Order: sequence, then C-alpha cells, then structure tokens
Amino acid sequence: MKINEFNRIFFDDEQNISFIGEGEVGGKASSLIYFDNILKESDFSEFDEIMVNIPNFTVLRTGVFDDFMTQNDLYDIAYSDKSDDEIAIAFQNASLPFSVLGDLRELISKVNVPLAIRSSSMLEDAKYKPFAGIYGTKMIPNNQFDSDTRFTKMVEGIKYVYASTFFKDAKEYFTASGLEIRKEKMAVIIQEIIGNRYGDKFYPNLSGVGKSYNYYPINETLPEEGVVNLAFGLGKTIVDGGLSWIYCPKYPHKKPPFGSVNEMLKLTQTEFWSVNMGDPPAYDPINETEYMLIENIHSAEEDETLSNLVSTYDHTTDRLTIGSGRDGARVLNFAPILSLELIPINDLLIKLMKVCEEKMDSPVEIEFAMTFSKDSSSEKPYRFGLLQVRQMVVNDTDVRLERSELSSNDTIIASEHVLGNGISNNIKDIVFVKHETFDPAKTELIAKEIAEINSKLLSEKRPYLLIGYGRWGSSDHWLGIPVTWSQISGASIIVEASLENMNIEFSQGSHFFHNLTSFKIQYFYLPLRNDFPTDWNWINSLDHVTDLEFVSHVRYDKALKTIVDGKSRSGVIKK
Amino acid sequence: MEKKSFNAFEMAKKQFDSAAEMLELDEATRDLLRTPMKEFHFSIPITMDDGSKKVFRGFRCIHNDARGPAKGGIRFHPQETIDTVRALSMWMTWKTSVADIPLGGGKGGVICDPHNLTKREQEQICRGWVRQIYKNVGPFTDIPAPDVMTNPQHMLWMLDEYEIITGKKQPGFITGKPVGMGGSLGRTEATGYGVIITIREALKKLSLKAKDTTMSIQGFGNVSQYAIELYTQMGGKVICVSCWDQKDEKSFSFKKESGVNLTELKNITDQFGGIDKARAKELGYDILDGDQWLFQEVDILIPAAIENQITEENVENISSKVKIIAEGANGPTTPEADKIIESKDIFLIPDFLANAGGVICSYFEQVQCNMNYFWTKDEVLGKLDQKMTYAFNSVYQFSTKNSMTMRVSANIMAIEKVVDACKARGWV
Repeated sequence: MKINEFNRIFFDDEQNISFIGEGEVGGKASSLIYFDNILKESDFSEFDEIMVNIPNFTVLRTGVFDDFMTQNDLYDIAYSDKSDDEIAIAFQNASLPFSVLGDLRELISKVNVPLAIRSSSMLEDAKYKPFAGIYGTKMIPNNQFDSDTRFTKMVEGIKYVYASTFFKDAKEYFTASGLEIRKEKMAVIIQEIIGNRYGDKFYPNLSGVGKSYNYYPINETLPEEGVVNLAFGLGKTIVDGGLSWIYCPKYPHKKPPFGSVNEMLKLTQTEFWSVNMGDPPAYDPINETEYMLIENIHSAEEDETLSNLVSTYDHTTDRLTIGSGRDGARVLNFAPILSLELIPINDLLIKLMKVCEEKMDSPVEIEFAMTFSKDSSSEKPYRFGLLQVRQMVVNDTDVRLERSELSSNDTIIASEHVLGNGISNNIKDIVFVKHETFDPAKTELIAKEIAEINSKLLSEKRPYLLIGYGRWGSSDHWLGIPVTWSQISGASIIVEASLENMNIEFSQGSHFFHNLTSFKIQYFYLPLRNDFPTDWNWINSLDHVTDLEFVSHVRYDKALKTIVDGKSRSGVIKK
Repeated sequence: MEKKSFNAFEMAKKQFDSAAEMLELDEATRDLLRTPMKEFHFSIPITMDDGSKKVFRGFRCIHNDARGPAKGGIRFHPQETIDTVRALSMWMTWKTSVADIPLGGGKGGVICDPHNLTKREQEQICRGWVRQIYKNVGPFTDIPAPDVMTNPQHMLWMLDEYEIITGKKQPGFITGKPVGMGGSLGRTEATGYGVIITIREALKKLSLKAKDTTMSIQGFGNVSQYAIELYTQMGGKVICVSCWDQKDEKSFSFKKESGVNLTELKNITDQFGGIDKARAKELGYDILDGDQWLFQEVDILIPAAIENQITEENVENISSKVKIIAEGANGPTTPEADKIIESKDIFLIPDFLANAGGVICSYFEQVQCNMNYFWTKDEVLGKLDQKMTYAFNSVYQFSTKNSMTMRVSANIMAIEKVVDACKARGWV
C-alpha cells in the first residue's frame, strides 16, 4: 500500500491521496487507501457513464495528534470529566503543531471546494470494536474568498475532530467496549465532499449505505442478499437514522411494506442535509453542524435535482407517477433509478459490494455519495464516490428455535423480527420505557432518563434488557427515542416495541446499528400486532430499583434466558 | 574568533559588487545601492542610576525603501559601529526582497552593553533613541524591531515614547512587542523556526530525512533555541551548542554525543543565552572551546550568533560529513570562506534567506497592528512556513536553473527586485 507524502499539490491526477506528518493513518483512512488501489485495479467498464473512485483526501497522521496533545498540555483536560463543550473550547484555544501549518495553508490556498474533516482513529473501524459514528465530522464550505478564513475554518474543524476523541460519548463507548482510551490516537482525513453547488447549498444528488449482510431482512429476502439505504443529499440522513429508502439490491423494484400511499408519503425522506455555502452562520466552532443545513425536499425543486429520484403523488387518483414531470407532492422512492433503471446504480452497488466482500473476506458495509452532472454533454455524467468500507460481524453460532417455544408459559418477550444470534443467560436488570407516560413529544427527556440509569448500571457492570418504543437512536425524536450510542451502551438486549402513536417500520441508523451488531447485542423488534404478547404484568411485578417519570428499572433475582435464532430471525426472552 | 580587521560593510559591498557585475547594473544604480540612502548619527544623554550623566551614541540607517517602508532591528552592542549598521541595513533590503514582503531595509543601534546597565538606564536609552529619531521613523516610514541584546520590553518603551511624542496610538511603529501589547503570536519562534524550514526544504532536495541527521549550532539565544526545538521535533539530533560567557568574556561549546536536551539547557541559561558551565558539566556535557561547534562531525551547521564566524582560517576544519550550513546569524561567513564551502560541496543557505523568518513575522505583526486585528498562532506560523518555503524554493529553482550557489542566486534575485523598484520609481 503506497501513499504519498503531501507535496503541496492536492488536486493532482497522479496523487488523489497523501499524508501530512508522521505516525499512522488510522482505521478509516487505511481502508480507504486500500480500496483506492482496489478500485483502480477493478474493471467497472460496464458502467461507462459512471466515474467510480474515492474522493481526494489528505490524512493528518497520528503523530500530529500526539504533538498537538503534548505541546498544548491537553491530556489532563482530555481525560477529565469536563463537559464536551469545555473540552472542545480548550482544544480550540490550542495551537496545531508548527510542522504541519505550512502544508495545511498550502493545501487550503489551492483548494476551495467544500471539505469534510473526518476522524480516522487507530481503533476506529476495527472489526469487533467499531467506533463508527462515535467521533465528530466537520463539514466546511471552504468557499470564502480569503484563504486565511478558509484556513482558520479548516483548523477549527481539525481541532473539533481531535476534541471529539474525548467527548462523553467516546469515553462511555470505551468503557462499554473495555478498551483503554489512553491508547487511542486520532488521525484526521481532510476530504473533498462529493456534491454540486445549488445556490447556497452544496450536496450530493444521492448518498447511501450498502450492507452485504442484512440483519433485518423483510418479506422473502435473505440476510445474505444485503440491504441498501438511499437518501437525497448528504449521508448524514442515513447515518443518524433518519428516514431513508431501504431496499434489497436483489429486488430493487420492491418497495418497503408501506400500508398505503399516504403512509409512504409520511414515512419517506422529507428533509435533506446540505453544506451551507451562503452567508456565514453564527460562529460556533464546537458545533458539528455549524455549516450544515437541513431543509424540506421541496426546497430542492428549483435545483432540479429531484427528477431522477422521486415519484409524484396525484391526489385525484391517489397514485404515484414516477418522476417529477407533474405537480404534486414528491415522494423520495428513487423509482427512476431503481424501477426505470435510468442510472445503473443498483448493479454498480451489487458489483462493488461483491468486490469489497471478496477483498475483506467478510460481509461489508459501504458508504457512498453520487452526483449527477449538470453538464449533459459530459463523458461521465455520474460520479460515484466511495466514502467508507468496513467489515461487518456476522454471528454464525448454530441456534435453532422452534416457533412453539416463542409462546411458552415462561416467555416474557418473543418476536420473529430479531437481530443477532446465540443464547445468553446473564441478565437480571430490565430498563423499560413506561407505556402510561410515554409521549412521542418527550422522547428527548426519555433519552436522558435512560442515560442516567445506563451510567449507573454501567458503573456497576450489570448488563441489562432495554425496552422502548419507536426507532432507537433516531435523530428525529418523533420517530423514536433519540439516544446516542453511549446513552445505552450498557444494554445487552434491546427491544424496539411499537405503539399506535409510534408505529414505525424498523430501520437502522447506520452507525448505530453497526455498533450494536458488532458488540453482539440482541435486538428485538416487536411489530404493533405481534403474535407473541409481552408479559408486562410480570415485568411490572418485579422489584423497582429506580422509578423515574418515563423510565423504570426493575430487577429479577434470577438471570433471564435469551435465545435468538439468526437463521429464522426469531428470538425469545424467558424467565 | 572575531577579527578586529573585519568590516561587515566592506563584505556587504563586495557581495553587492559581485552581483551587480552579473546583473550588469549601470553606474548610478550601483552607486545608489552600495550605500544607505539615509544615515542618522546622534547622541543620547541619560542620567545613570548613580546620578552621573552619560552620553551614548546611536545610529539609524535606511539602506533602501523603494519596495516599502524600511524595516530592521536595533542592536545594543558595545562594539557597535556605523559600518556594521550600514552592512546590516543593506542585508535587510535584500532579505525583505528575497522574502517577497513589501518592505525596504534599515538597521539601527546604540553603542552600549545592556549587561552593565540597569533596567531604568536601558529604558532611558530606548526613550532617548526615539526622541532623537522620531521624525524619521514611523509605521509608514521605517519600522524598528528587536535585534542583538534588545528585547520586547525595549520595544515597548520605544513605542510608548513614540506615542507620547506623536500623541497617537500607533502600534505599527515598531515590531517585536510583547504579545497582548501589539505583539504577534509566533514572533518569538519565527526566526528559529524559519531557519529550520529552509533546512527541511534543503534536506528534501538532498533526499535526506531529518531523523537521520545531526546538527551543531553556534549560539543559544532565541534563534538557536527555537531552531533546536523544531529540528528535534522533526526527529533530528543536536549534539553541540555554543554560547558567549559574559563572565569569562569568551565563548564555549557544550557537547553531548547522545543529543542536547533543550529543556535542561534552558533551565541553566541566563537571559542573554549564556549557559552555566558548571551545571552543564554536572548534566554530562563536555565543555569545549568556543569555536569547536564548527568542527563537529555533523550533517548540519547553524551559525546563529554574530557575523564573521566562518572564515578563511577555520573553514578548512569543517568536517567532511557536513552537508548543510544554514546561516541563522547575519553575515557569519566571509566571502573567502564562502568559496571554500562551495568547493567542499556543502549546501549553504545564505543568511538573508535562512533567517528571514524574523522579518516575515515582523511584517505580519506590523500588518496586524495597522489593522488592529490579531491572528491566531496557527495562522501566523502557517503563513510563515508558506512564505519561507516559497522563498527557499524560488531561490533554489533559480540556482539550479542558472548553476549558481544559493547565496549568489538569492543575492541576484533580491537585488534585481530592488533595482526594478528603484527604476520603476524613476530614481535611477
């Protein structure tokens, strides 16, 4: 694997990847460098209109982080229990090592496209301890006329990513994973963002996450057939667990099981993320989304970026028409590319995931972004940028669970939509969201209560069963409880139940679920009309250790037994 | 090592004449650039702490300001001469030109020894210097800065006197002020770091890595200390430093084969850069004669003390292992020694390129003061690296293209720019 030292030439055809400083490049950069070579060697000639590559980037290696920490005496505050903001401010007030400043200035003086400043830690993307989504990413428009301002913003972004190594989420993640935070080192990737500018917004036409193994196969699909999430705009929508389009690449025409067109209108993506290229926002270098915008997809109408991605709702016939040729509400179902196959994205994804799987020798998860050129005469009007590749953990312990076992007398919870595989009997604690006080408008408060109990159980080293309503880890608090990973990091089994007012098709925030599965946490999804009722009476009869407004913590004097059959995707929790 | 017969101005003129020949300059242009355009000689009478009166002699030379306001330090030195000030003002003109900053060249000085003066007496000299010259200096005319044995406190006294006399706040009048009082972050590091930037670039050209090299350095003042800091961070090893011993009135070299430790040496160093010999010995340093720094078996030499240190007499004793000499001080190499260095195939980075970091950062300070808007340290030092790297590579490209040494190339490039400015203004 050869990468070049930064030679103050960024956008060079011969050199799309370079490094600055000494040390390691970190997990994320390492896999991108590896797959950069793979992509260059692979034959994608059948996709003659699509340029497939890894966006240009420079890595600030871990030696720079070491120097930054020691030269500014930051380790004390970094390891302290100070708030994220206090840590971030201390890092902003520190200076980057002199040895990299010239290179960074030169880089920024030559580059004025929007940049993503991404983490690439030593431990990030390790197969069994993935730190995906734990550290910060800062997107900057980098469009200021003055290179001094662009430089300052980039430096602020680098310091933010460094600081995020020591944020509360990261520390709790370390505690949960049994790793030593003092061994962590951070490299930083400075990468061009794939996208086009439309007025004051910059965004890719399409972003997505593909997994070659699907922990949530629906209908007749098999886990091995994989799953793809597509979103309009920046991939943050998917990564944060917002509404995106989910389909199996083997059956790209099949839509998710929506009950009606109306339901599809409600449960498909309505908002999208972009980089703010307009007037500078309020100065806030410790805010990850300082330069990001979230807007309704209607605001993209004038950008003419929806036509390849939407269908249009005709209220007179209550039907959808593919494309955006007519007036009406747009539904982001990606039908023009998936049903009409106007752009062979699905075939490309199938091939790419296969290549990645072969090289990694395991199922993989990839992140990508695409642009559709505004210039129709372009030889390659579509650009596909591969943003990340990581291995997935697939548990292959042989467990067989008969359907009859799901409804036995000692069953507490059972489902035929379960993620994971294996048998466990080490849990005595149950943390659950109370049905009687549950309010979709108050899910943020619920998340805080869960975090409080999680911290306590984590410090006592007591794994627990967590039961709640709606989509765990959703960034949209109306769709579920918007916990971060660290707020539930002590849970060993997580149950996602449905209510009449919180009946969301299960989905997955990419990073959230990747981490969940890598830590081998069992995940039960209980549909609204589950064939196997939950024994709430028994749960409520247990000793209440903590009883908060929205969340209770009960304890059983024996260990619960959990059996999950990964093949049939069924599971049961027994007394 | 200093020879009484050495005359810095004669050396500067010799260097200029040689470049002028190559550039085929006309007589008027040579005449203009061979000597300073303006010279001020004045007396500074002060009352000493014991009540006695004493008169100190001060100078200010503006060599050339065709490219912008003159810029240059003020030296407090007992052996100061007008010829030294003249030479240094000329070198400042070339330095600002080769660094491509819109300034001219100047220099000033006072014949005095701050070691033997109280703080109050030093303050009186600073204020007296300004009183004598304030009509001819200023943020848009001639901007002084610290130099040999002057420091940020001296600059602040001078600024204060200037602002009292003119009745205006004009922090851009002088640079090298303390941070928070109009000083720029990064200023203290600038010269030493700048020297190492040029060495870093030279190492690239020679396909060497800093971590595989060793260094010996003359002087242990601000420039040397920051040069050692950055070079060590890059992985290099400094095995010898030298410094002036005020008590013995001679210099000594301090050698440690395993590498000098900057922090421990700084802890036993006085404010003028003098290292305590006894304590250095306790820490395992060999104490050698003052000129021994030059004869060490190292890859890189940095003369970072005063002028006239590498001469025809000692140049032959430089180790054959030496690959780079970076002139941290002004004029440390005589023209005769220069030729021998060239014949030994040593890559020499000339003074006004190698130590331009200081004046570049002074320029940044002046810009910040005139805007009254101050930058972060990252911004200052990032710009410094960029300017230094650009300057080095411009000179290097010129030298390879024309098969000339770095010194001759830098000289010609710098002089040519000044000549162009003078001609554009219609002076010659």
